[in-house]
Amino acid sequence: MNQWMRAILESKRRERARLRLLPLDEKIAILERMRDRALAIAGSSLAKTRR
Amino acid sequence: MRETLEAIQQMRADGVIAACAIGGAVGATFYIEPMTTMDIDIFVSFQNIPNKLLIDLSPLYGWARSHGFEARGEYIILGGWPVQFLPVSDALDEEALAQAVETEVEGITVRVMTAEHLVAIALRVGRAKDHARILHFIEAGALDAAILDDILARHGLTGKWTAFGRRFLEERP
Repeated sequence: MNQWMRAILESKRRERARLRLLPLDEKIAILERMRDRALAIAGSSLAKTRR
Repeated sequence: MRETLEAIQQMRADGVIAACAIGGAVGATFYIEPMTTMDIDIFVSFQNIPNKLLIDLSPLYGWARSHGFEARGEYIILGGWPVQFLPVSDALDEEALAQAVETEVEGITVRVMTAEHLVAIALRVGRAKDHARILHFIEAGALDAAILDDILARHGLTGKWTAFGRRFLEERP
């Protein structure tokens, strides 16, 4: 794995650690937004044609 | 999610379900970063409801209908979230439910399975997304290894855990 890839992975780890430490109510709010987005993507024309 | 949790509280108050606890991906959110999920898993016990010899979920659906909530397949839509009520099915589920911890979400008291029980159940279920969630728990350092080992040993999951480790942990970067 090259240095550039290591830096990307490390940055992702840091972001996940930040999310992990958020207050519970904030995490639940994120969960709700993630679900809304996933549903919106699933309802998109591209997602429908791939099914 | 507030409306969802309030509805579940009301179900308990009305005696439709006995003890219950949040599991699955929403349960995991209490310990690790949020991960996308479409539904909420609620593990329920009907043990304290008198005259229950067989598990019958029809009172749940009846309650939902009478309170204006939609039932969709195996889900009941509460506050916009599809909620799946999973009757405890074995000793691991029973223990996870009994040892669930109380906490507050949006001002509502809820019970959530411990991190170690969530991981043990995910290991037992064993889908790709369950394995991914277990890896997140490990990376987060959210597990007490001694407690997890004890649970896995008592519920016959040590072999699965060893196989999981061999497959996913031995060659991690």
